[in-house]
Amino acid sequence: MAEDRGPDDQSGSEAALKDRVQELLDAAINPAVAGHGGYIELIDVKDSTAYIRMMGGCQGCGAADITLKAGIERMIFEEIPEITEVLDTTDHAAGDNPYYAPSKG
Amino acid sequence: MSERRRGRAGPPRLLLLVPTTTYRTEAFVEAATALGVDLVIASDRPSTFSDAYPESLLTLDFANSGKAVEVIADLARQRPFDAVVPVDDLTTEVGAAIAEALGLRTNAPAAIARTRNKHRMREALARAGLPSPSYRLFRTDDDPETAAQSVPYPCVLKPTILSASRGVIRADGPAAFVTAFGRVAAILRDPEVAGQPGSEEILVEGFMAGREVALEGLLRAGVLEVLALFDKPDPLDGPFFEETLYVTPSRLPLEAQTAIAAATAAAARVLDLRGGPVHAEVRVDAGGRPRLVELAARSIGGLCSRTLRFGTGMSLEEVILRDALDLPIATLERERPAAGVMMLPIPRAGVLEGVEGQAEALAVPGIEAVTLTAHVGQTLVPLPEGSRYLGFVFARGDAPAGVEAALREAHRRLAFRIRPT
Repeated sequence: MAEDRGPDDQSGSEAALKDRVQELLDAAINPAVAGHGGYIELIDVKDSTAYIRMMGGCQGCGAADITLKAGIERMIFEEIPEITEVLDTTDHAAGDNPYYAPSKG
Repeated sequence: MSERRRGRAGPPRLLLLVPTTTYRTEAFVEAATALGVDLVIASDRPSTFSDAYPESLLTLDFANSGKAVEVIADLARQRPFDAVVPVDDLTTEVGAAIAEALGLRTNAPAAIARTRNKHRMREALARAGLPSPSYRLFRTDDDPETAAQSVPYPCVLKPTILSASRGVIRADGPAAFVTAFGRVAAILRDPEVAGQPGSEEILVEGFMAGREVALEGLLRAGVLEVLALFDKPDPLDGPFFEETLYVTPSRLPLEAQTAIAAATAAAARVLDLRGGPVHAEVRVDAGGRPRLVELAARSIGGLCSRTLRFGTGMSLEEVILRDALDLPIATLERERPAAGVMMLPIPRAGVLEGVEGQAEALAVPGIEAVTLTAHVGQTLVPLPEGSRYLGFVFARGDAPAGVEAALREAHRRLAFRIRPT
């Protein structure tokens, strides 16, 4: 059965992983998305999954999935192979300033 | 394994052409990721990670096929591509040009160009003797008063190059024609549109009465496989042609459905489309006879593809990628339940201040999702000038009538606060 524990009683290895993901966000990922007014919040790391939230220009952006799959995910997987999944928890519908807005035309 | 991949190691390499304005990035990128392909994404505007991954996140001018071909041909010399998949109308022409230059399976660029201009498509279909309305081409600088005297009524004015019903207006007489002509011309003068080839053209067609349906298909070696036939239960009689409900399977008699498929297949042959997804808009008259409104060499737009699942749950995007990459497709049979989508129309111009009733809409039996794509603070422009939707509501059920009723009820429960501008 999976353990039910909050962020404060994470295992040492998860806490260390979380630190490494946060460092990568600070050093490389957030500077990249800042160009489009976006930033990425790390919500948590559990097991080998990083939970993130895409904010600012990324929230609701038509290209958010390119940023996520071909940018954020790839960079995290390459730099921190212990992370095998990145889950986007963003409420994209609530984004009030997406960088690219979709259109059916 | 396809002939062109024989002897090459590693996953197939896919070039996905993704306009930054598309609703469908998530669906295509997820399908490509699930297939484990070596994915290269090209967009018309830069990605935030273009500098970090310049070999897999490209910026291409989709309006300049020659330059785009050069860029991709250079890249392909390092490692060849196995398929080029354009997403949405905006990338079909450049996609065909790139694929042809790389020697990959594609429709001829000239064939795609015909589908991208409503006048050229209408000419080709009429010349081949396919049932067509009367039509006449005008230029935006023509005198509308004079033009109004030379067309039959009721008629429909439309730009030759825009999609999603943008700029499509019915006129029942000369006065309405002159007003509509001015509105269409103004849309074509929009800085985002002006300057494109065909942006000075206005096509006028005789209005085709009847119910409208949409056929989603896949051409394989010139043979049309019907993936789904959608009824559009809301009448599309003008003056604007806002699409709202799509429900499948169709409730038309089988004979009419067969005739629609045959008309679509015939149009594809006339237009020389041989492969890949097609999306047809067809009018069915009181006698059950189909007449093609248009045929596009792409799959269904917006988020509407979420209504479709094939076999054990394959998405339409996965079908398209598998077909392009010559990967096996277990079945093209759509799942059994009825499904539908309501594209939430923009009721009036203004700024979106809030949305209420989402939970209530989602609570309607049969409703699977309420996905809002407009954001608070967004300036809303309704048809015919606009081309965006407030969002999409999805439903599944045992029968099309129940799906339609669920979608209507969910829509009724949604309230959009829009501040007039």
